[in-house]
Amino acid sequence: MRIVAYALALLVAGLFAGRAEAVEIQEVTTPLGIKAWLVEDRSAPLVALSFSFADGTASEPESQKGVTSLMATMLTDGAGALTADIFRRREEDAATHLSFGASSDRLSGTLRVLTASRDEGFDLLRLAVTEPRFDSDMLDQRRDQAIAGLNQAEQSPRSVAERTLMASMFAGHPYSRDASGLRETLKTLTPADLKGRARSVLQRRGLIVAAVGDIDAQTLARQLDRAFGALPEGELPAALPDWAPPAGSRTIAIERPVPQSAVLMAMPGVLRRDPDWYAALILSHILGGGQQSRLFEEVREKRGLAYSVSASLRSSAKASMLVVSTGSANDRVAEAIHVIQTVLARLRTEGVTEQEVADAKTYLTGSLALSLDSSGAIAGLLHGMQIDGLPRDFLDHRADLIAAVTKADVDRMAQRLLRDDAVTTVVVGKPVGLAVER
Amino acid sequence: MLPSRRAPIVTQLLVYKVGGADETAGRTGIAHFLEHMMFKGTGSVGPGEFSRIVGRNGGRDNAYTGFDATGYHQTIAPDRLELVMRMEADRMAGLRIAEKELVPERQVVLEERRMRIDNVPSALLDEAVRARLFGDHKPYGMPIAGFVEDVKKLSVDDLLDFYRRFYTPSNAVLIVVGDTTPETVRKLAETYYGPIPGQAVLPRRRPAEGAPDLPQVVTRADPRVVQSGWARDYLAPSYRMGETRHAYALQVLARLFGSSETSRLWQALVADSKLALSASADYNALSLGLSTFGIDISPLHIDALPEIERVVTDQMKRVLDGDVTSNEIERAQNQLLAAAIYAQDSLGSGPRRYAAALTTGNGVADVEAWPHRIAAVTASDVVAAARHVWRGDSAVTSLLKPAERAP
Repeated sequence: MRIVAYALALLVAGLFAGRAEAVEIQEVTTPLGIKAWLVEDRSAPLVALSFSFADGTASEPESQKGVTSLMATMLTDGAGALTADIFRRREEDAATHLSFGASSDRLSGTLRVLTASRDEGFDLLRLAVTEPRFDSDMLDQRRDQAIAGLNQAEQSPRSVAERTLMASMFAGHPYSRDASGLRETLKTLTPADLKGRARSVLQRRGLIVAAVGDIDAQTLARQLDRAFGALPEGELPAALPDWAPPAGSRTIAIERPVPQSAVLMAMPGVLRRDPDWYAALILSHILGGGQQSRLFEEVREKRGLAYSVSASLRSSAKASMLVVSTGSANDRVAEAIHVIQTVLARLRTEGVTEQEVADAKTYLTGSLALSLDSSGAIAGLLHGMQIDGLPRDFLDHRADLIAAVTKADVDRMAQRLLRDDAVTTVVVGKPVGLAVER
Repeated sequence: MLPSRRAPIVTQLLVYKVGGADETAGRTGIAHFLEHMMFKGTGSVGPGEFSRIVGRNGGRDNAYTGFDATGYHQTIAPDRLELVMRMEADRMAGLRIAEKELVPERQVVLEERRMRIDNVPSALLDEAVRARLFGDHKPYGMPIAGFVEDVKKLSVDDLLDFYRRFYTPSNAVLIVVGDTTPETVRKLAETYYGPIPGQAVLPRRRPAEGAPDLPQVVTRADPRVVQSGWARDYLAPSYRMGETRHAYALQVLARLFGSSETSRLWQALVADSKLALSASADYNALSLGLSTFGIDISPLHIDALPEIERVVTDQMKRVLDGDVTSNEIERAQNQLLAAAIYAQDSLGSGPRRYAAALTTGNGVADVEAWPHRIAAVTASDVVAAARHVWRGDSAVTSLLKPAERAP
């Protein structure tokens, strides 16, 4: 298809100055029973789709570690009668972009397509999820790339710290991923393994879909039935085992010949469905959520111990952590960790200020709009809301939920989360003067 | 001003026409260090307060330093545009730099360098490649982050002197995107930036040639490296320097030669010969001085490097011999234009594109004419551009490989 003339007309006319309206979310149910959330937005001639299937890497068998991510990557490496090369050319010629990836809980995908080539885009999506090929020469290529990716991650102190933290926090739980084991099983995976995994993950039960852009409910319903209709209804996967955070505190040091040590400090957090979620979010923001945070002030502004220092809540279906992250010169990293520990202890014992709570609320309320700056980002938000089990009118109430949190709530969270007897600290580099307990 | 009412937000981007390429040898890292100190207060806003005020008002702010430009940006609700414009104008004229703020911030700047460059073997190699290609003490040959020994020496006076020379209305471009109107922006800009006295800024100079002793080969053997890499960087014209007529054809060339898995390099090296894990080509025309055309390969095995170089050379020769079809050109144009459409859907990428153009000697008209100029490129233009840039005497070839770890 000739996009050039179409694209020229669009780019020159500058059609993107559409009217901002409150995000109005429709629920669409297709004739085949697939449910989706839709925000119709005619300001750009494109559709962004964000969707996911109800199973991820955590449930894969021990002997097939890595199979889900590799399978997800290979869904766009040829399907039906189209080899990888032809598939990709069709995608490029239609100016559409389709990609897949797996997290521990779900296999997710995004589709971006211009109105002018919408049928073709959804057709490629249908092929990818219903008739993926998993040709063995492509498997060899993706396997090599996946192993190279693991090697590359070994070069980065930050990635090594992440991997080490995951292994320590989730030891014995399916969320733990052992990179060396992964390398070994990746080598043994066959096209039949990938096909089998695709069959068990790509099912309609638990499918979540969000669409944003130049499409009406009826058209979306028709396209979704075309794309996903041929998949089996299937069954929801068995729930993962509950996670018990590791008892006690530990410091793990991994030596690497780098001038700056990467540091992660993790504590058990709160699950998304916990009633105290917003209090924890406000606490995390006050602790390390930006340039006005306590960590930024004490570690960076006052002492120049780091360029980057932050805290964030990470939550998935079965686990949640509050993670502090920084990097500091090898001979100053012990001091940086000590300052972070002092900040945590002070917050726990003295609590936060009313002003900090008010500022955090303003930020968390206002910043939602800042992240909704593209159709894909809005589709991502709608998709995430469904995963979290939030109602369709959640955005109308979010500000109230944040406003309802009190200083006492945040102080209570500080005592619950910022405990010095449950911190896993990982340091990767050549730290000087660091007390290592393991 | 680019109106967009996708979301109830505005972005102000104030960008100064000064960057790392405007520094002198021995004083590298000034532009970037100054960018950090711009958050350290004025007569009316205390140290660190700028970002705190933005955050307290539900906004986000940050800054960046490039070779040709330094930008400061905030994204916030439309009714707070006046607030951030007043504060941005305030620090254009009234920055204060105190020794007690400078001392810890120097450490922050050095930690940033450690994180982005010293901890990253490929970034250290890139630094060496630029020095070989453009010259050790020449613009684009010196790192934006600065050399550690230079950054350690920079004083309050060095920074203030740089600030006074370059931070003035006549040397700045203001870009506002989002849910507001040109009238509002004009009124606010006249109120806040208008009264700041202007001053003349000397025209910026960029060398018309690269280093004299090309071609060169740079190898970095690093104990931290697990995955090897091979790259070749050619000096190339930009929109503003060198044989500028090739600038559009070079974008089409980079696209068809190595910008996706259907590109020639990927097909030859990854899909067909299975010598590499990935292969790409890259070119950016937005530079005040000369630019680069880069080819980047991740070999599957380091032993295959001679074979990889042979395949790359063969693929280049095909283009140089004129083997480029109009069908391929059209596909590459499709991809470039489609990417531009998707970029327009995002508030984030719009202002940066204009800023990069307007700080490298281009106008708004150039940005708007870009789709037409890309669409006008022909197969023979692409061949001519390749013949101009892919010459053996203007390249640095680089190799990143593992080294034994010291005991």
